[in-house]
Amino acid sequence: MSFLEFLETRSSDMVELGLEHAAVVGLSVLLATIIGVTLGVATYQRARARGMVLAITGAILTIPSFALFILLLGPLGLGWPPTVVALTLYGLMPVVRNTITGLRGVDPAVLEAAKGMGLNRRQRLLRIELPLAWPVIITGVRVTTLVLLGITAIAAIINGPGYGEFIFTGLARVGTPVAVNLVLAGALGVMILAVLFDILFYTVRKLTTSKGIQ
Amino acid sequence: MTSADSHETRQVMIRLEKLTKHYPGQQRNAVDGLDLDINEGEIVVLVGPSGCGKTTTMKMINRIIEPTSGRIILNGEDVTRTDADQLRRRIGYVIQQTGLFPHMTIGENVATVPKLLGWDKSRTDARVDELLNMVNMDPEIFRHRYPKQLSGGQQQRIGVARALGGDPTVLLMDEPFGAIDPITRDRLQNEFLRVQSEVRKTIVFVTHDIDEAIKMGDRIAIFKEGSQLAQYDTPEQILTAPADDFVAEFIGRGASLKRLNLSYVGDIDPRPWPTVSVSTSIAEARETLRNAAESALIVVDEAGRPHSWVSPEELNRAGEGSSLKEIGQTPRAIVEPRATLSDALNELIAARYAVTLVVDDTGKLQGVVDIEQINDSIRSMRASAVTEARASLGGEP
Repeated sequence: MSFLEFLETRSSDMVELGLEHAAVVGLSVLLATIIGVTLGVATYQRARARGMVLAITGAILTIPSFALFILLLGPLGLGWPPTVVALTLYGLMPVVRNTITGLRGVDPAVLEAAKGMGLNRRQRLLRIELPLAWPVIITGVRVTTLVLLGITAIAAIINGPGYGEFIFTGLARVGTPVAVNLVLAGALGVMILAVLFDILFYTVRKLTTSKGIQ
Repeated sequence: MTSADSHETRQVMIRLEKLTKHYPGQQRNAVDGLDLDINEGEIVVLVGPSGCGKTTTMKMINRIIEPTSGRIILNGEDVTRTDADQLRRRIGYVIQQTGLFPHMTIGENVATVPKLLGWDKSRTDARVDELLNMVNMDPEIFRHRYPKQLSGGQQQRIGVARALGGDPTVLLMDEPFGAIDPITRDRLQNEFLRVQSEVRKTIVFVTHDIDEAIKMGDRIAIFKEGSQLAQYDTPEQILTAPADDFVAEFIGRGASLKRLNLSYVGDIDPRPWPTVSVSTSIAEARETLRNAAESALIVVDEAGRPHSWVSPEELNRAGEGSSLKEIGQTPRAIVEPRATLSDALNELIAARYAVTLVVDDTGKLQGVVDIEQINDSIRSMRASAVTEARASLGGEP
């Protein structure tokens, strides 16, 4: 059976796994963004806290995903819960780093003017700093998404959702003709999702960034 | 107007009492026990070498820098410990780098303080239009533009408009025209003085440029190294009676020339000059010039506006049939009463008969100014400044 014929017979699986894959990545990116931006906002002005958060979130990223999934198996069981937790942890670093970079990159003159106009701390953050840092933050979110799309494929070892199922089934049947097709289909699915997410982020960034700083 | 008069008639808007700023780890105070009264409606320029504490002093007024000790009294109210954000909404703030919010339109930038003060939309919109017009930026063209679409000079105009947004009584300006090319700077300074003549704010203006201080200030505070106030007085007094060597050196050479920037052509009476109308015949013009003490005639048009200079040679060369309209040379050195004596001097140096024509707002000839008159004016300025300085030695007159 050729690869194209394989895709045709398994097209409903492709779509179903794709939706799952996108959903779990989407949810994890959302959580990582909320937590990551919060951590960034909480620490960007203090050198020590900033260094610590970057070190910790960076260290998380170095844990082999295989190991983390298995470690979470005990407390959280199989399927979605450990997958979302692991992905969220992996997704923090790019968001935190870009939030800090973006907020620290705001022109000090702009901040001084905002302060001089009488904007309080909260108003400065919400009306000036975050909107100006936004293009950098959303770039971090985009990087996180790409990283998580790949890692999600590994989550199949703990029955996680997504294209990993194809890849691990293929692994189990190495040597048979269908194995190559399964792995190829899984990889292709992830790549298509990556392209779709990229288009999404490009559009969102374009629409949510002020024309004054594009 | 003398400094003594204005002290009595004007109310103190900002009073700094023993204001001190100490930065941890530094031996000397950045500002050390400064006392300064700033009158309502005046532009007070803080000027001095870098590190003299002028900027720190200004930034303590809106508490961008919190004073270590001392008091800030704004319009009779002690604001040293009040809510800083509320205080800043009452004080306009203009900085050298402009600090416009790049993600907001010009309209949104100018509306910043009105929004913070909770004005409704129609009042805010009307205020934005009023301010944009005031700084010569057509609201229809610029309201929806972003800061990056503006030139440096335009951005600084918006910076001024934004600072005036909430109609504050006090305006703080930190080297507002420092980063702008000299020609644009001159224009912005003039524009700003015009705006100030309308709005009459109390302004604290920081610069390191003594010429700007002389031009902009109703009063100048010259700081020495270590935040010592070397002299606090009107530009006239500072130029004619510098308090010490430091001030004299800081003013630099050419103090007399700088003084010419403080007097206006309108302050001196133009001298009459033999004049004929364009409809006069050549023969009559010759007759007029023969009886005149000067070596040329000014020809004016029907409305009394200068048309040309004619010399005896030109009159002699002209045939009987020709008209005064066709001969002579167009006058170049012409000033209005609002021009400074410095402008007038500049014009007359290059002029053919060593005089500058003075015209009124409609362009009608008022007379001429020559170098003698400018010299007299400098002399009388110096004399009155010396008298004043002597009077102040003897206590209250």
